[in-house]
Amino acid sequence: MNPEDRLSAPLVLEYPFTRTTGPVIGAFMTGLREKVLLGIKRKDGSVLLPPTEYDPETSEDLTEMVEIGQSGEVTTWTWVQEPRDQSPWNSPHALAMILLDGADTPFIHAVLVDNADLMRTGMRVSIKWKEETEGHIQDIEGFIPEGNGND
Amino acid sequence: MAAGGELAAVIGVGMTKFSATRGDVSMPGLVREAAERALKDAGMVWGDIDAVVMGKAPDFFEGVMMPEIFLGEALGAVGKPMLRVHTAGSVGGSTALVAASLVHSGVHDRVLTVAWEKQSESNAMWALSLKQPFQVSINAGAGGYFSPIIRQYMEATQAPELIGCMVAFKDRQHALLNPYAHLHQPDLTFDQVVESPMLWEPIRYSETCPSSDGAAAMVIVNETEAEKSDNPAWIHAGAMRSEANNFPGRDEVNPQASRECAADLWNQAGISNPREEIDAVEMYVPFSWYEPMWLESLGFCERGDGWKLVESGATHINGGDLPVNCSGGVLSSNPIGASGMIRFAEAALQVRGMAGEHQVEGARKAMGHAYGGGAQYFAMWVVGKDKPTT
Repeated sequence: MNPEDRLSAPLVLEYPFTRTTGPVIGAFMTGLREKVLLGIKRKDGSVLLPPTEYDPETSEDLTEMVEIGQSGEVTTWTWVQEPRDQSPWNSPHALAMILLDGADTPFIHAVLVDNADLMRTGMRVSIKWKEETEGHIQDIEGFIPEGNGND
Repeated sequence: MAAGGELAAVIGVGMTKFSATRGDVSMPGLVREAAERALKDAGMVWGDIDAVVMGKAPDFFEGVMMPEIFLGEALGAVGKPMLRVHTAGSVGGSTALVAASLVHSGVHDRVLTVAWEKQSESNAMWALSLKQPFQVSINAGAGGYFSPIIRQYMEATQAPELIGCMVAFKDRQHALLNPYAHLHQPDLTFDQVVESPMLWEPIRYSETCPSSDGAAAMVIVNETEAEKSDNPAWIHAGAMRSEANNFPGRDEVNPQASRECAADLWNQAGISNPREEIDAVEMYVPFSWYEPMWLESLGFCERGDGWKLVESGATHINGGDLPVNCSGGVLSSNPIGASGMIRFAEAALQVRGMAGEHQVEGARKAMGHAYGGGAQYFAMWVVGKDKPTT
């Protein structure tokens, strides 16, 4: 029998799993819904954003959540000229690591500018919230250069 | 010594309360709770642990791929070896044995082992009934798979029809003595068990395990560390076996892998008469009839006599000479991946004298048992109050 004559069949598996967020991630998500960014303070006083339930190095419990500023500095970035179908963004944008004021760890999100010439490491950006928020990281539409009329 | 290599002992046990839904904690929070309790029992902190060995049922259950990776921080495994074990329902037992082997071998001195399941965020029935191309699907989950095997046992041994109900009623009574058990049914009567709906004939609803969230953890250490503990549970023997779940001529009621695993276990432990020498058994019984079936397979009695032990009350904590599942067993709490480890941990609690209201008076040797898949993976250990002798 030729290999191409052997039977094959598709196998599609789908199940709607659920997830419980717990006290820390749950608070972070709820904060997004209220347009507030919450990080978490480590024993040495540094602040992790996004927050984690346990210290990434010492595994200690982390419980002290603190509000983070909504502006910060781009620490590095890449340009996305042609977003793919599954991207949350339809137009060209940067994906950047952003160190927000009050946080000690940068987190990744989009910087919404028209072309790569407008991007530079070290630039200041401010958060742009969606009008309707639901408790999801995409409640943040993206970041825009600071002073560009964010409301 | 029996299990080979360095002596090893359990000096810390931790469990969560088992319940249908632990909506207050994330998956990391769930394993953390059990692990912290085990550490506290052992008088240790995260930094004292050399390695972490984790187990859970198939990834399909929660849809989390490689959970061992995202649970590293919660289990204090950062910068340490972390292993994941996977042998379906027996995984909690296999995980404990892998953790013990790291101590027996002398590779590590203090190992944390954890097993868990968050069934409320998953669907075991779905995960166990995935339709595969070119294969017949009965879409019946575990109960549908095991019910014809149970019938085969009933017919072969001429067991009275209500033996399974007796096991279920007994384990639910035992569960009332265990604050961690999922099912607490103080008003349940034997007649209610008998009258409960037939789910997978001949298995009634009340003869099946619940679907639980929960985790169990143990700290397993070498001889030097164990001697610092007031009440270590010394590991006298540990054995694992597996076989294919389907082949012509397979003895599904009493699988070869089960028999040989038990024979190896008793041999390692120097036990010639398990019924006489074992004081408490924690056996993996997700469907009631598996108690008499495993009693026979494990050599606690002759073939065909398992149901007679049940009928005589021998396996009841009150008055029985071979109490089985004093914790309430899998029939009262079933966070699948953790269920095997709960058996092993409960055996350890018994010989440490720490089982609370479900303590078997004066228990010196106890057996923990787990099976998984289509009754094809087996993991067992014997723990003792006394150090094993060669």
